[in-house]
Amino acid sequence: MYEIWLTLNILFELGLLYLPQVIITAALWILLTIMAVKRGNAGWAKALKPALVVFVVVTAITFFITPGMTKSSFANMGYWVDWGNLFLYAAAFGGVGAALTWPIAAMMRPAR
Amino acid sequence: MTVKDTRTEAVQEVDANRRRLLFGASALPVAAGIGLSASPRKAQAALKTNARIVIAGSGLGGLAAANRLARELDGAKITIVDRKEIHNYQPGYTLVATGVWPVEKVSDRNADLIPSGVEWVKEMVAEFDPEANAIVTDAGHRIEYDYLIVATGLHMDFNLIEGMDVAAIGTNGLGCVYPSPEAAQATWSAMDSFRQKGGKALMTLPSTALKCAGAPLKMTFMLVDRLKQAGTRDTSDVQFHSALGNIFSVPRINQEVLERWAKLDIPVHFNSKLVAVDIGARRATFASPEGERSELEYDFLHVVPPMRAPDSVKNSPLAWQEGGFAAGGWLEVDKDTLRHKRFPNVFGIGDINGTPKGKTAATVKKSTPMVVQNLIDVIAGREPSQVFDGYTSCPLLVREGAALLIEFDYENRLTPSLPAIDPLQDSYFAWVMKYRLLKPAYMAVAKGRV
Repeated sequence: MYEIWLTLNILFELGLLYLPQVIITAALWILLTIMAVKRGNAGWAKALKPALVVFVVVTAITFFITPGMTKSSFANMGYWVDWGNLFLYAAAFGGVGAALTWPIAAMMRPAR
Repeated sequence: MTVKDTRTEAVQEVDANRRRLLFGASALPVAAGIGLSASPRKAQAALKTNARIVIAGSGLGGLAAANRLARELDGAKITIVDRKEIHNYQPGYTLVATGVWPVEKVSDRNADLIPSGVEWVKEMVAEFDPEANAIVTDAGHRIEYDYLIVATGLHMDFNLIEGMDVAAIGTNGLGCVYPSPEAAQATWSAMDSFRQKGGKALMTLPSTALKCAGAPLKMTFMLVDRLKQAGTRDTSDVQFHSALGNIFSVPRINQEVLERWAKLDIPVHFNSKLVAVDIGARRATFASPEGERSELEYDFLHVVPPMRAPDSVKNSPLAWQEGGFAAGGWLEVDKDTLRHKRFPNVFGIGDINGTPKGKTAATVKKSTPMVVQNLIDVIAGREPSQVFDGYTSCPLLVREGAALLIEFDYENRLTPSLPAIDPLQDSYFAWVMKYRLLKPAYMAVAKGRV
């Protein structure tokens, strides 16, 4: 429980560090989602596949570039804890990419 | 002008705009925001009290205690006594001193971390008078208290090293990670110059208790890594001089590091204490316990000063009067409750404590909530309920990109927070913790949330 609380606090403080980016990303997602909902006939289900593709692509890219961006390298991956954390970190960015893609793809693929 | 007037003048106006911004921002990181809306602790009403609580020091421990007490007590008069305006993230110094971080990353404004409603007296404690439940500041103001938290940090005794000049750090191959962000930056400047050509490096360790006792080891590992990166390791000689018979107090870690240094060709000279330095001539003098002195030339010297309690504590009745902690003048607290052994309305947090372990930010993180709860217990007329196990942590940098995540307690047991963590495994995760995640965690501690 304490570790979960600590993790939430770290995320919160990181959010404060990158506040402009967080605000812009959240605002963009809300705007896109509102646009898709207002348009009507948005193909939310059909949009899941492209969102998933974006998730995979962004996750993969983030996975490969993150060690270098944190002044490390794959040579420093010692054990499964390192790989697991790197994957979770990358997947978080993949999730953001997918979240932004979903309403866009839904607008581009009408339900009917 | 009366003391009260002066103190009132010294009360800091909260930067309201910034606080509103921070408050508003709490809704943004959605997952965190949801989680932060409720504390993991049992919901409890603030304890009503009119107690006067003085906190000596506004480092991590003082700030964390102030934030927690401001939240958990209703009606208490809380006063922080400390002059410093800039709060330095000291765990980041090793990153600055080894060229990993820019120096700007380690400094924040203290005003942003002091809770509203807490009085901030911008003076230093010059004298503790626990028999009269009062402190006296260096401006001559006497402040009385019902309860006192001592969180002054420690004093670095550079003057015990003959010829040492803190202002010369960064010149003539002289480095020291400890005193300030500027010193850490200057140390990197000296290290960077040294690694271009290589040569002879002397890394040192004094015999006293240290804050962040892993820092001298990190500096050594990182120096060797920087030499390798520059292609000058083969033409360099890196030696470690310890004034003790070991290099780290936890035997398992001591053994692990010595084995790694043997592989890295770093000879260790035990019972070899740095006692003098001729900065211009680049010569350092070491002494054995028998007093035998030897002089060595160097191209790079990393000085680690002896450390002790500040004079205000050392020369007060609060210091240990006998035993191993008396020489350093450390605060005489019970190691389990961190309550003073002779003055039951006094508690200690952080580096100042005369306890077997624990002069790190991680110690403050774990112990401050316990000290605060124990103080609240005492205010409520109960015995302290929390027992501190001496938890300390050290993300030990072993090279750029990898670290060991070492956690241990009073009994020298390795105590990883998560069972999956292997404390003796070179780890990217441990590196990222140090490089990117620990400062956010530290800020959450300072704000009294974790």
